[in-house]
Amino acid sequence: MAGELIRMDHIHKYYGRIHALDDVTFTVGEREIVGLLGDNGAGKSTLIKTLSGAVPISSGDIYVRGRKVVIGSTTDAIAHGIETIYQDSALVTQLSIARNLFLGREPVKGPWFFNRLDDEAMNAVASDLLRRVGITKSIPPTTPIGALSGGERQAVAIARAMHFESDLIILDEPTNNLGVAEVQGVLNFVRSARDSGHSCIFIAHNIHHVFQVVDRIVVMRRGKVVADDVDPKKSSVERVERIITGMDEVA
Amino acid sequence: MENRTALQRLISTPEFAPLVLLIAEIFVFWAINPAFLSVLNIGNTLAFTVELGLIALAMTMLMTSGEFDLSVGSVFGFAPVVMWTLFNTGITSLELSFLIAMGIAALIGLVSGLFVTQLKIPSFLVTLGMLLVVRGTALFITNGFPQRTWSSEGQWLAEILVGDFYIGSLRIYASLFWFIGAALLLHYVLTKTRAGNWIQASGGNPDAARARGVKVRATKIWLFILCSSMAAFAGVISSIRTAAANPNSGTGYELEVIAMVVIGGTVLTGGRGTIIGTVLGVLILRVMRNGIVLIGVPGLAYNIFIGAIILGMMSLHSWLERRHNAGVR
Repeated sequence: MAGELIRMDHIHKYYGRIHALDDVTFTVGEREIVGLLGDNGAGKSTLIKTLSGAVPISSGDIYVRGRKVVIGSTTDAIAHGIETIYQDSALVTQLSIARNLFLGREPVKGPWFFNRLDDEAMNAVASDLLRRVGITKSIPPTTPIGALSGGERQAVAIARAMHFESDLIILDEPTNNLGVAEVQGVLNFVRSARDSGHSCIFIAHNIHHVFQVVDRIVVMRRGKVVADDVDPKKSSVERVERIITGMDEVA
Repeated sequence: MENRTALQRLISTPEFAPLVLLIAEIFVFWAINPAFLSVLNIGNTLAFTVELGLIALAMTMLMTSGEFDLSVGSVFGFAPVVMWTLFNTGITSLELSFLIAMGIAALIGLVSGLFVTQLKIPSFLVTLGMLLVVRGTALFITNGFPQRTWSSEGQWLAEILVGDFYIGSLRIYASLFWFIGAALLLHYVLTKTRAGNWIQASGGNPDAARARGVKVRATKIWLFILCSSMAAFAGVISSIRTAAANPNSGTGYELEVIAMVVIGGTVLTGGRGTIIGTVLGVLILRVMRNGIVLIGVPGLAYNIFIGAIILGMMSLHSWLERRHNAGVR
Protein backbone atom coordinates (compact mmCIF):
# COMPACT_ATOMS: atom_id res chain seq x y z
CA MET A 1 0.00 0.00 0.00
CA ALA A 2 1.54 3.25 -1.09
CA GLY A 3 -0.04 6.49 0.06
CA GLU A 4 -3.57 7.64 0.46
CA LEU A 5 -5.98 7.72 -2.47
CA ILE A 6 -9.16 9.00 -0.85
CA ARG A 7 -9.58 10.85 2.39
CA MET A 8 -13.01 11.82 3.73
CA ASP A 9 -12.46 14.18 6.64
CA HIS A 10 -15.00 14.89 9.41
CA ILE A 11 -17.99 14.24 7.19
CA HIS A 12 -21.45 15.07 8.49
CA LYS A 13 -24.69 14.32 6.69
CA TYR A 14 -28.15 15.24 7.89
CA TYR A 15 -31.39 14.04 6.35
CA GLY A 16 -33.69 16.59 7.94
CA ARG A 17 -33.15 15.92 11.65
CA ILE A 18 -31.60 12.52 11.16
CA HIS A 19 -27.84 12.59 11.65
CA ALA A 20 -26.90 9.95 9.11
CA LEU A 21 -23.14 10.53 9.14
CA ASP A 22 -21.64 11.80 12.39
CA ASP A 23 -18.08 13.08 12.05
CA VAL A 24 -16.94 10.28 9.81
CA THR A 25 -13.30 10.13 8.78
CA PHE A 26 -12.58 7.45 6.23
CA THR A 27 -9.60 6.72 4.04
CA VAL A 28 -8.72 4.35 1.23
CA GLY A 29 -5.10 3.70 0.30
CA GLU A 30 -3.67 3.14 -3.14
CA ARG A 31 -4.15 -0.45 -4.24
CA GLU A 32 -6.15 -1.22 -1.16
CA ILE A 33 -9.40 -3.13 -0.83
CA VAL A 34 -11.38 -1.76 2.08
CA GLY A 35 -14.34 -3.72 3.43
CA LEU A 36 -17.09 -1.45 4.73
CA LEU A 37 -19.35 -3.19 7.19
CA GLY A 38 -22.26 -2.23 9.37
CA ASP A 39 -25.81 -3.18 10.16
CA ASN A 40 -28.78 -1.76 8.27
CA GLY A 41 -28.98 1.96 8.93
CA ALA A 42 -25.37 2.17 10.14
CA GLY A 43 -24.61 4.78 7.48
CA LYS A 44 -22.46 2.81 5.06
CA SER A 45 -24.80 3.36 2.12
CA THR A 46 -25.00 7.06 2.90
CA LEU A 47 -21.22 7.28 3.08
CA ILE A 48 -20.90 5.61 -0.30
CA LYS A 49 -23.59 7.78 -1.82
CA THR A 50 -21.77 10.94 -0.77
CA LEU A 51 -18.55 9.63 -2.24
CA SER A 52 -20.19 8.60 -5.52
CA GLY A 53 -22.03 11.91 -5.88
CA ALA A 54 -25.55 10.60 -5.39
CA VAL A 55 -26.17 12.75 -2.30
CA PRO A 56 -24.30 15.88 -1.16
CA ILE A 57 -22.48 16.04 2.18
CA SER A 58 -23.67 18.51 4.82
CA SER A 59 -20.17 19.37 5.98
CA GLY A 60 -16.63 18.01 5.84
CA ASP A 61 -13.95 17.66 3.19
CA ILE A 62 -13.11 15.08 0.57
CA TYR A 63 -9.57 14.71 -0.79
CA VAL A 64 -8.39 12.70 -3.77
CA ARG A 65 -4.63 12.11 -3.64
CA GLY A 66 -4.34 14.99 -1.19
CA ARG A 67 -6.21 17.42 -3.40
CA LYS A 68 -9.48 18.77 -2.08
CA VAL A 69 -12.42 18.03 -4.39
CA VAL A 70 -16.11 18.83 -4.52
CA ILE A 71 -18.33 15.96 -5.54
CA GLY A 72 -21.74 17.27 -6.53
CA SER A 73 -22.89 14.64 -9.01
CA THR A 74 -22.08 11.17 -10.25
CA THR A 75 -20.39 12.80 -13.23
CA ASP A 76 -18.07 14.68 -10.85
CA ALA A 77 -17.25 11.46 -9.04
CA ILE A 78 -16.44 9.64 -12.28
CA ALA A 79 -14.29 12.59 -13.37
CA HIS A 80 -12.31 12.20 -10.12
CA GLY A 81 -11.83 8.51 -10.84
CA ILE A 82 -14.50 7.19 -8.48
CA GLU A 83 -16.77 4.59 -9.99
CA THR A 84 -19.68 3.00 -8.13
CA ILE A 85 -21.09 -0.31 -9.20
CA TYR A 86 -24.59 -1.03 -8.00
CA GLN A 87 -26.01 -4.40 -8.69
CA ASP A 88 -27.68 -4.45 -12.10
CA SER A 89 -28.39 -0.75 -12.25
CA ALA A 90 -25.28 0.35 -14.09
CA LEU A 91 -25.79 -1.52 -17.35
CA VAL A 92 -28.22 -1.31 -20.25
CA THR A 93 -29.51 -4.87 -20.61
CA GLN A 94 -30.51 -4.46 -24.26
CA LEU A 95 -27.07 -3.40 -25.43
CA SER A 96 -24.09 -5.64 -25.99
CA ILE A 97 -21.18 -6.01 -23.58
CA ALA A 98 -18.93 -3.92 -25.81
CA ARG A 99 -21.52 -1.17 -26.27
CA ASN A 100 -22.05 -1.01 -22.51
CA LEU A 101 -18.34 -0.81 -21.80
CA PHE A 102 -18.02 2.25 -24.00
CA LEU A 103 -21.42 3.85 -23.34
CA GLY A 104 -21.00 7.62 -23.26
CA ARG A 105 -17.40 7.39 -24.47
CA GLU A 106 -17.82 5.54 -27.73
CA PRO A 107 -14.90 5.54 -30.14
CA VAL A 108 -16.02 6.72 -33.57
CA LYS A 109 -14.38 6.68 -36.95
CA GLY A 110 -15.02 8.22 -40.31
CA PRO A 111 -15.49 11.84 -41.29
CA TRP A 112 -17.52 14.15 -39.10
CA PHE A 113 -20.96 13.72 -40.61
CA PHE A 114 -20.75 10.04 -41.38
CA ASN A 115 -19.01 9.13 -38.16
CA ARG A 116 -19.91 5.72 -36.94
CA LEU A 117 -19.07 3.56 -33.95
CA ASP A 118 -15.80 1.72 -34.20
CA ASP A 119 -17.34 -1.67 -33.42
CA GLU A 120 -14.19 -3.65 -34.23
CA ALA A 121 -12.12 -1.64 -31.77
CA MET A 122 -14.80 -1.84 -29.08
CA ASN A 123 -15.18 -5.59 -29.49
CA ALA A 124 -11.44 -6.16 -29.41
CA VAL A 125 -10.96 -4.15 -26.23
CA ALA A 126 -14.02 -5.80 -24.67
CA SER A 127 -12.72 -9.31 -25.33
CA ASP A 128 -9.38 -8.39 -23.86
CA LEU A 129 -10.97 -6.83 -20.78
CA LEU A 130 -13.21 -9.82 -20.14
CA ARG A 131 -10.12 -12.01 -20.12
CA ARG A 132 -8.24 -9.64 -17.83
CA VAL A 133 -11.06 -9.46 -15.35
CA GLY A 134 -10.98 -13.22 -15.20
CA ILE A 135 -13.99 -14.46 -17.15
CA THR A 136 -12.78 -17.84 -18.28
CA LYS A 137 -15.82 -18.85 -20.28
CA SER A 138 -15.66 -17.51 -23.81
CA ILE A 139 -18.42 -14.92 -24.12
CA PRO A 140 -18.54 -12.94 -27.36
CA PRO A 141 -18.41 -9.18 -26.67
CA THR A 142 -21.50 -8.74 -28.84
CA THR A 143 -23.66 -10.66 -26.33
CA PRO A 144 -26.41 -8.48 -24.86
CA ILE A 145 -26.14 -7.89 -21.11
CA GLY A 146 -29.62 -9.38 -20.70
CA ALA A 147 -28.19 -12.79 -21.57
CA LEU A 148 -25.54 -12.71 -18.82
CA SER A 149 -25.73 -14.03 -15.27
CA GLY A 150 -25.56 -11.71 -12.28
CA GLY A 151 -21.88 -12.45 -11.67
CA GLU A 152 -20.98 -11.87 -15.28
CA ARG A 153 -22.76 -8.51 -15.19
CA GLN A 154 -20.68 -7.54 -12.16
CA ALA A 155 -17.61 -8.54 -14.11
CA VAL A 156 -18.58 -6.30 -17.02
CA ALA A 157 -19.16 -3.37 -14.67
CA ILE A 158 -15.80 -3.96 -12.98
CA ALA A 159 -14.08 -4.31 -16.34
CA ARG A 160 -15.56 -0.98 -17.41
CA ALA A 161 -14.29 0.74 -14.28
CA MET A 162 -10.84 -0.77 -14.84
CA HIS A 163 -10.66 0.24 -18.46
CA PHE A 164 -11.58 3.85 -17.84
CA GLU A 165 -8.86 4.14 -15.24
CA SER A 166 -11.12 4.62 -12.29
CA ASP A 167 -8.80 4.82 -9.29
CA LEU A 168 -11.47 3.75 -6.84
CA ILE A 169 -14.13 1.16 -7.59
CA ILE A 170 -16.99 1.03 -5.10
CA LEU A 171 -18.87 -2.25 -5.05
CA ASP A 172 -22.21 -2.05 -3.29
CA GLU A 173 -23.38 -5.54 -2.31
CA PRO A 174 -21.76 -7.18 -5.34
CA THR A 175 -22.33 -10.68 -4.03
CA ASN A 176 -26.04 -10.41 -3.26
CA ASN A 177 -28.23 -12.99 -4.97
CA LEU A 178 -25.27 -14.79 -6.47
CA GLY A 179 -24.55 -18.50 -6.42
CA VAL A 180 -21.49 -19.89 -4.64
CA ALA A 181 -19.35 -20.24 -7.73
CA GLU A 182 -20.35 -16.77 -8.94
CA VAL A 183 -19.39 -15.19 -5.63
CA GLN A 184 -15.90 -16.64 -6.01
CA GLY A 185 -15.83 -15.23 -9.53
CA VAL A 186 -16.71 -11.74 -8.32
CA LEU A 187 -14.12 -11.92 -5.53
CA ASN A 188 -11.55 -12.84 -8.18
CA PHE A 189 -12.59 -9.87 -10.30
CA VAL A 190 -12.04 -7.62 -7.30
CA ARG A 191 -8.58 -9.09 -6.70
CA SER A 192 -7.59 -8.67 -10.32
CA ALA A 193 -8.76 -5.06 -10.17
CA ARG A 194 -6.43 -4.45 -7.23
CA ASP A 195 -3.57 -6.28 -8.91
CA SER A 196 -3.84 -3.94 -11.86
CA GLY A 197 -3.55 -0.91 -9.61
CA HIS A 198 -7.08 0.00 -8.54
CA SER A 199 -8.47 0.53 -5.06
CA CYS A 200 -11.83 -0.84 -4.02
CA ILE A 201 -14.46 -0.32 -1.36
CA PHE A 202 -16.33 -3.55 -0.85
CA ILE A 203 -19.69 -3.49 0.88
CA ALA A 204 -21.47 -6.70 1.72
CA HIS A 205 -23.75 -8.12 4.34
CA ASN A 206 -21.94 -11.42 4.18
CA ILE A 207 -18.89 -10.94 6.38
CA HIS A 208 -17.30 -14.13 5.11
CA HIS A 209 -17.17 -12.72 1.59
CA VAL A 210 -15.58 -9.55 2.91
CA PHE A 211 -12.98 -11.46 4.90
CA GLN A 212 -11.87 -13.40 1.86
CA VAL A 213 -10.91 -10.44 -0.22
CA VAL A 214 -10.23 -7.21 1.70
CA ASP A 215 -7.01 -5.78 3.14
CA ARG A 216 -8.69 -3.76 5.87
CA ILE A 217 -12.14 -3.59 7.43
CA VAL A 218 -13.97 -0.45 8.50
CA VAL A 219 -17.05 -0.86 10.67
CA MET A 220 -19.82 1.73 11.01
CA ARG A 221 -22.59 1.89 13.56
CA ARG A 222 -25.28 4.54 13.97
CA GLY A 223 -23.58 6.97 11.62
CA LYS A 224 -20.13 6.70 13.18
CA VAL A 225 -17.01 4.78 12.32
CA VAL A 226 -16.47 2.48 15.28
CA ALA A 227 -13.47 0.59 13.95
CA ASP A 228 -11.32 1.54 11.01
CA ASP A 229 -8.31 -0.70 11.03
CA VAL A 230 -9.42 -4.27 11.48
CA ASP A 231 -7.00 -6.64 9.79
CA PRO A 232 -8.91 -9.64 8.47
CA LYS A 233 -5.80 -11.78 8.82
CA LYS A 234 -5.51 -11.07 12.52
CA SER A 235 -9.15 -10.86 13.46
CA SER A 236 -12.06 -13.24 13.47
CA VAL A 237 -15.48 -13.03 11.87
CA GLU A 238 -17.05 -13.38 15.31
CA ARG A 239 -15.17 -10.38 16.65
CA VAL A 240 -16.18 -8.19 13.73
CA GLU A 241 -19.77 -9.30 14.22
CA ARG A 242 -19.58 -8.14 17.82
CA ILE A 243 -18.23 -4.75 16.72
CA ILE A 244 -21.05 -4.40 14.19
CA THR A 245 -23.73 -5.11 16.75
CA GLY A 246 -22.05 -2.97 19.39
CA MET A 247 -21.35 -5.76 21.88
CA ASP A 248 -17.64 -5.15 21.66
CA GLU A 249 -16.44 -1.56 21.59
CA VAL A 250 -13.00 -0.86 20.18
CA ALA A 251 -11.07 2.30 20.47
CA MET B 1 -24.91 -19.82 -28.34
CA GLU B 2 -21.89 -19.89 -30.67
CA ASN B 3 -22.93 -23.14 -32.23
CA ARG B 4 -26.27 -21.85 -33.45
CA THR B 5 -26.78 -22.14 -37.16
CA ALA B 6 -27.35 -19.17 -39.41
CA LEU B 7 -30.97 -20.25 -39.75
CA GLN B 8 -31.50 -20.26 -35.99
CA ARG B 9 -29.97 -16.81 -35.74
CA LEU B 10 -32.28 -15.57 -38.47
CA ILE B 11 -35.31 -16.99 -36.71
CA SER B 12 -34.35 -15.39 -33.41
CA THR B 13 -34.12 -11.88 -34.88
CA PRO B 14 -37.13 -9.71 -34.04
CA GLU B 15 -37.68 -9.03 -37.74
CA PHE B 16 -38.25 -12.65 -38.63
CA ALA B 17 -41.86 -13.03 -37.50
CA PRO B 18 -43.10 -9.89 -39.28
CA LEU B 19 -41.30 -10.98 -42.43
CA VAL B 20 -43.06 -14.34 -42.40
CA LEU B 21 -46.39 -12.67 -41.73
CA LEU B 22 -45.92 -10.25 -44.63
CA ILE B 23 -45.02 -13.02 -47.06
CA ALA B 24 -47.96 -15.13 -45.92
CA GLU B 25 -50.30 -12.17 -46.23
CA ILE B 26 -49.18 -11.35 -49.75
CA PHE B 27 -49.45 -14.99 -50.76
CA VAL B 28 -52.98 -15.42 -49.38
CA PHE B 29 -54.30 -12.26 -51.00
CA TRP B 30 -52.68 -13.11 -54.29
CA ALA B 31 -54.05 -16.66 -54.22
CA ILE B 32 -57.59 -15.41 -53.62
CA ASN B 33 -57.44 -12.47 -56.01
CA PRO B 34 -54.52 -12.30 -58.46
CA ALA B 35 -55.38 -8.64 -59.14
CA PHE B 36 -53.75 -7.98 -55.78
CA LEU B 37 -50.33 -8.16 -57.42
CA SER B 38 -51.39 -6.09 -60.43
CA VAL B 39 -49.20 -3.14 -61.29
CA LEU B 40 -52.03 -0.69 -60.68
CA ASN B 41 -52.72 -2.03 -57.22
CA ILE B 42 -49.08 -2.10 -56.17
CA GLY B 43 -48.70 1.51 -57.30
CA ASN B 44 -51.77 2.62 -55.36
CA THR B 45 -50.76 0.77 -52.21
CA LEU B 46 -47.23 2.16 -52.25
CA ALA B 47 -48.37 5.78 -52.62
CA PHE B 48 -50.18 5.94 -49.33
CA THR B 49 -47.93 3.45 -47.56
CA VAL B 50 -44.90 5.70 -47.60
CA GLU B 51 -46.77 8.62 -46.05
CA LEU B 52 -47.64 6.69 -42.90
CA GLY B 53 -44.32 4.92 -43.23
CA LEU B 54 -42.30 8.12 -42.91
CA ILE B 55 -43.98 8.82 -39.57
CA ALA B 56 -43.48 5.22 -38.45
CA LEU B 57 -39.73 5.44 -39.13
CA ALA B 58 -39.37 8.50 -36.88
CA MET B 59 -41.67 6.96 -34.29
CA THR B 60 -39.40 3.91 -34.18
CA MET B 61 -36.48 6.09 -33.14
CA LEU B 62 -38.58 7.87 -30.50
CA MET B 63 -40.03 4.64 -29.11
CA THR B 64 -36.58 3.08 -28.89
CA SER B 65 -35.65 5.94 -26.58
CA GLY B 66 -38.60 5.03 -24.39
CA GLU B 67 -41.13 7.69 -25.40
CA PHE B 68 -43.88 7.98 -27.98
CA ASP B 69 -45.83 10.76 -29.65
CA LEU B 70 -49.62 10.74 -30.00
CA SER B 71 -49.72 14.13 -31.72
CA VAL B 72 -48.30 12.95 -35.06
CA GLY B 73 -51.73 12.52 -36.64
CA SER B 74 -52.67 16.07 -35.71
CA VAL B 75 -49.37 17.47 -37.00
CA PHE B 76 -49.93 15.48 -40.20
CA GLY B 77 -53.16 17.44 -40.71
CA PHE B 78 -51.95 20.74 -39.27
CA ALA B 79 -48.69 21.34 -41.17
CA PRO B 80 -50.19 21.29 -44.69
CA VAL B 81 -53.03 23.52 -43.50
CA VAL B 82 -50.47 26.07 -42.32
CA MET B 83 -48.47 25.78 -45.51
CA TRP B 84 -51.39 26.13 -47.91
CA THR B 85 -53.10 28.85 -45.91
CA LEU B 86 -49.91 30.93 -46.04
CA PHE B 87 -49.47 30.28 -49.74
CA ASN B 88 -53.08 30.66 -50.86
CA THR B 89 -53.53 33.97 -49.04
CA GLY B 90 -50.47 35.21 -50.90
CA ILE B 91 -48.44 35.90 -47.78
CA THR B 92 -45.29 34.16 -49.03
CA SER B 93 -43.97 31.77 -51.65
CA LEU B 94 -44.64 28.06 -51.49
CA GLU B 95 -41.04 27.31 -50.51
CA LEU B 96 -41.14 29.68 -47.57
CA SER B 97 -44.58 28.42 -46.53
CA PHE B 98 -43.16 24.91 -46.51
CA LEU B 99 -40.23 25.95 -44.34
CA ILE B 100 -42.50 27.80 -41.92
CA ALA B 101 -44.82 24.78 -41.61
CA MET B 102 -41.82 22.50 -40.97
CA GLY B 103 -40.45 24.96 -38.44
CA ILE B 104 -43.71 25.09 -36.51
CA ALA B 105 -43.83 21.28 -36.52
CA ALA B 106 -40.30 21.15 -35.14
CA LEU B 107 -41.36 23.62 -32.47
CA ILE B 108 -44.30 21.38 -31.52
CA GLY B 109 -41.85 18.50 -31.10
CA LEU B 110 -39.53 20.68 -29.05
CA VAL B 111 -42.33 21.70 -26.69
CA SER B 112 -43.48 18.08 -26.24
CA GLY B 113 -39.88 17.05 -25.60
CA LEU B 114 -39.35 19.77 -23.02
CA PHE B 115 -42.57 18.87 -21.18
CA VAL B 116 -41.56 15.20 -21.08
CA THR B 117 -37.92 15.64 -20.10
CA GLN B 118 -37.94 18.75 -17.95
CA LEU B 119 -41.29 18.44 -16.17
CA LYS B 120 -41.12 14.64 -16.17
CA ILE B 121 -44.69 14.23 -17.37
CA PRO B 122 -45.27 10.91 -19.16
CA SER B 123 -45.22 11.27 -22.93
CA PHE B 124 -48.71 9.75 -23.11
CA LEU B 125 -50.21 12.76 -21.31
CA VAL B 126 -48.02 15.42 -22.91
CA THR B 127 -48.64 14.30 -26.46
CA LEU B 128 -52.33 13.64 -25.80
CA GLY B 129 -52.60 17.29 -24.81
CA MET B 130 -50.56 18.30 -27.84
CA LEU B 131 -52.80 16.19 -30.09
CA LEU B 132 -55.83 18.23 -29.03
CA VAL B 133 -54.08 21.60 -29.14
CA VAL B 134 -52.71 21.02 -32.64
CA ARG B 135 -55.92 19.54 -34.07
CA GLY B 136 -57.94 22.31 -32.50
CA THR B 137 -55.67 24.94 -34.01
CA ALA B 138 -55.94 23.37 -37.46
CA LEU B 139 -59.74 23.38 -37.25
CA PHE B 140 -59.83 26.90 -35.87
CA ILE B 141 -57.68 28.57 -38.52
CA THR B 142 -59.56 26.87 -41.36
CA ASN B 143 -63.06 27.01 -39.86
CA GLY B 144 -63.01 23.29 -40.58
CA PHE B 145 -62.79 23.68 -44.36
CA PRO B 146 -60.10 22.04 -46.51
CA GLN B 147 -57.51 24.33 -48.07
CA ARG B 148 -57.21 24.13 -51.84
CA THR B 149 -53.85 22.93 -53.13
CA TRP B 150 -54.39 22.71 -56.88
CA SER B 151 -52.00 25.58 -57.45
CA SER B 152 -49.18 23.18 -56.62
CA GLU B 153 -49.13 22.33 -60.33
CA GLY B 154 -45.73 23.12 -61.78
CA GLN B 155 -44.10 24.01 -58.47
CA TRP B 156 -40.63 22.45 -58.25
CA LEU B 157 -41.13 21.73 -54.54
CA ALA B 158 -44.25 19.68 -55.27
CA GLU B 159 -42.36 17.79 -57.99
CA ILE B 160 -39.48 16.94 -55.68
CA LEU B 161 -41.79 15.77 -52.90
CA VAL B 162 -44.43 13.81 -54.80
CA GLY B 163 -43.82 14.16 -58.50
CA ASP B 164 -44.93 10.97 -60.23
CA PHE B 165 -43.56 9.03 -63.15
CA TYR B 166 -44.13 5.66 -64.74
CA ILE B 167 -41.92 2.62 -64.91
CA GLY B 168 -43.76 0.65 -67.58
CA SER B 169 -47.29 1.01 -66.30
CA LEU B 170 -46.23 1.23 -62.62
CA ARG B 171 -46.91 4.71 -61.30
CA ILE B 172 -44.24 5.75 -58.81
CA TYR B 173 -44.31 8.85 -56.63
CA ALA B 174 -41.11 10.62 -55.62
CA SER B 175 -42.23 10.18 -52.01
CA LEU B 176 -41.24 6.52 -52.29
CA PHE B 177 -37.61 7.58 -52.59
CA TRP B 178 -37.93 9.86 -49.58
CA PHE B 179 -39.20 6.88 -47.63
CA ILE B 180 -36.41 4.57 -48.81
CA GLY B 181 -33.82 7.25 -48.12
CA ALA B 182 -35.19 7.93 -44.65
CA ALA B 183 -35.32 4.21 -43.85
CA LEU B 184 -31.69 3.67 -44.89
CA LEU B 185 -30.47 6.75 -43.05
CA LEU B 186 -32.33 6.03 -39.80
CA HIS B 187 -31.34 2.36 -39.87
CA TYR B 188 -27.73 3.47 -40.15
CA VAL B 189 -28.09 6.01 -37.35
CA LEU B 190 -29.82 3.57 -35.01
CA THR B 191 -27.43 0.65 -35.46
CA LYS B 192 -24.07 2.13 -36.37
CA THR B 193 -23.64 5.51 -34.75
CA ARG B 194 -23.05 6.94 -31.32
CA ALA B 195 -26.44 8.67 -31.52
CA GLY B 196 -28.05 5.27 -32.05
CA ASN B 197 -26.24 3.84 -29.06
CA TRP B 198 -27.47 6.73 -26.95
CA ILE B 199 -31.03 6.32 -28.19
CA GLN B 200 -31.05 2.66 -27.20
CA ALA B 201 -29.40 3.34 -23.86
CA SER B 202 -31.83 6.17 -23.08
CA GLY B 203 -34.72 3.77 -23.54
CA GLY B 204 -33.08 0.74 -21.97
CA ASN B 205 -31.76 2.18 -18.72
CA PRO B 206 -31.91 5.98 -18.55
CA ASP B 207 -30.28 6.20 -15.11
CA ALA B 208 -27.31 4.10 -16.11
CA ALA B 209 -26.99 6.03 -19.37
CA ARG B 210 -27.03 9.37 -17.58
CA ALA B 211 -24.42 8.16 -15.11
CA ARG B 212 -22.12 7.34 -18.04
CA GLY B 213 -22.46 10.82 -19.48
CA VAL B 214 -25.14 10.14 -22.08
CA LYS B 215 -27.28 13.23 -22.68
CA VAL B 216 -30.58 11.43 -22.22
CA ARG B 217 -32.80 14.51 -22.20
CA ALA B 218 -31.24 16.09 -25.28
CA THR B 219 -31.47 12.76 -27.11
CA LYS B 220 -35.19 12.47 -26.39
CA ILE B 221 -35.92 16.11 -27.25
CA TRP B 222 -34.23 15.72 -30.64
CA LEU B 223 -36.29 12.62 -31.32
CA PHE B 224 -39.54 14.42 -30.49
CA ILE B 225 -38.49 17.11 -32.96
CA LEU B 226 -37.66 14.47 -35.57
CA CYS B 227 -40.98 12.72 -35.08
CA SER B 228 -43.05 15.87 -35.33
CA SER B 229 -41.11 17.14 -38.36
CA MET B 230 -41.51 13.83 -40.13
CA ALA B 231 -45.26 13.87 -39.48
CA ALA B 232 -45.44 17.37 -40.98
CA PHE B 233 -43.34 16.29 -43.97
CA ALA B 234 -45.64 13.30 -44.57
CA GLY B 235 -48.69 15.54 -44.21
CA VAL B 236 -47.40 17.96 -46.82
CA ILE B 237 -46.64 15.12 -49.22
CA SER B 238 -50.11 13.71 -48.69
CA SER B 239 -51.79 17.08 -49.24
CA ILE B 240 -50.05 17.58 -52.56
CA ARG B 241 -50.77 14.04 -53.74
CA THR B 242 -54.47 14.17 -52.85
CA ALA B 243 -54.78 17.87 -53.77
CA ALA B 244 -56.41 18.69 -50.44
CA ALA B 245 -55.19 20.03 -47.12
CA ASN B 246 -57.94 18.89 -44.82
CA PRO B 247 -57.67 20.02 -41.17
CA ASN B 248 -59.16 16.68 -40.16
CA SER B 249 -56.75 14.48 -42.06
CA GLY B 250 -54.48 12.23 -40.07
CA THR B 251 -57.09 11.53 -37.39
CA GLY B 252 -56.25 8.20 -35.77
CA TYR B 253 -52.91 7.89 -37.56
CA GLU B 254 -50.98 8.01 -34.29
CA LEU B 255 -52.34 4.65 -33.19
CA GLU B 256 -51.93 3.04 -36.60
CA VAL B 257 -48.32 4.23 -36.71
CA ILE B 258 -47.58 2.92 -33.22
CA ALA B 259 -49.19 -0.38 -34.23
CA MET B 260 -46.88 -0.57 -37.27
CA VAL B 261 -43.86 0.03 -35.09
CA VAL B 262 -44.67 -2.57 -32.42
CA ILE B 263 -45.71 -5.19 -34.98
CA GLY B 264 -42.27 -4.74 -36.49
CA GLY B 265 -40.64 -5.70 -33.20
CA THR B 266 -39.81 -2.40 -31.53
CA VAL B 267 -40.53 -2.49 -27.81
CA LEU B 268 -43.12 -0.03 -26.48
CA THR B 269 -41.15 0.49 -23.28
CA GLY B 270 -37.96 1.38 -25.12
CA GLY B 271 -34.43 0.04 -25.36
CA ARG B 272 -34.83 -1.98 -28.50
CA GLY B 273 -35.96 -0.82 -31.90
CA THR B 274 -35.66 -1.96 -35.48
CA ILE B 275 -36.13 0.11 -38.62
CA ILE B 276 -36.23 -3.01 -40.80
CA GLY B 277 -39.02 -4.36 -38.58
CA THR B 278 -40.92 -1.10 -38.90
CA VAL B 279 -40.70 -1.18 -42.69
CA LEU B 280 -42.19 -4.69 -42.52
CA GLY B 281 -44.82 -3.55 -40.01
CA VAL B 282 -45.83 -0.67 -42.26
CA LEU B 283 -46.20 -3.02 -45.21
CA ILE B 284 -48.12 -5.60 -43.17
CA LEU B 285 -50.81 -3.12 -42.17
CA ARG B 286 -51.07 -1.39 -45.54
CA VAL B 287 -51.18 -4.66 -47.46
CA MET B 288 -53.84 -5.87 -45.05
CA ARG B 289 -55.98 -2.77 -45.56
CA ASN B 290 -55.68 -3.05 -49.31
CA GLY B 291 -55.93 -6.85 -49.52
CA ILE B 292 -59.06 -7.44 -47.49
CA VAL B 293 -60.96 -5.05 -49.70
CA LEU B 294 -59.72 -6.82 -52.83
CA ILE B 295 -60.74 -10.25 -51.58
CA GLY B 296 -64.21 -8.99 -50.77
CA VAL B 297 -64.10 -8.52 -46.99
CA PRO B 298 -66.03 -5.33 -46.11
CA GLY B 299 -63.57 -2.51 -45.51
CA LEU B 300 -65.25 -1.72 -42.23
CA ALA B 301 -63.94 -5.04 -40.86
CA TYR B 302 -60.37 -3.81 -41.33
CA ASN B 303 -59.83 -2.96 -37.66
CA ILE B 304 -60.73 -6.48 -36.58
CA PHE B 305 -57.81 -7.82 -38.58
CA ILE B 306 -55.41 -5.13 -37.43
CA GLY B 307 -56.32 -5.76 -33.79
CA ALA B 308 -55.88 -9.49 -34.24
CA ILE B 309 -52.49 -8.98 -35.88
CA ILE B 310 -51.30 -6.76 -33.03
CA LEU B 311 -52.41 -9.26 -30.38
CA GLY B 312 -50.94 -12.17 -32.30
CA MET B 313 -47.59 -10.49 -32.94
CA MET B 314 -47.27 -9.29 -29.36
CA SER B 315 -47.87 -12.83 -28.08
CA LEU B 316 -45.30 -14.14 -30.50
CA HIS B 317 -42.68 -11.51 -29.59
CA SER B 318 -43.18 -12.16 -25.89
CA TRP B 319 -42.90 -15.92 -26.38
CA LEU B 320 -39.74 -15.58 -28.48
CA GLU B 321 -38.30 -13.21 -25.89
CA ARG B 322 -38.81 -15.66 -23.03
CA ARG B 323 -37.49 -18.56 -25.07
CA HIS B 324 -34.49 -16.51 -26.12
CA ASN B 325 -33.61 -15.49 -22.57
CA ALA B 326 -34.05 -19.01 -21.26
CA GLY B 327 -31.89 -20.46 -24.02
CA VAL B 328 -28.70 -18.49 -23.57
CA ARG B 329 -28.24 -18.70 -19.81
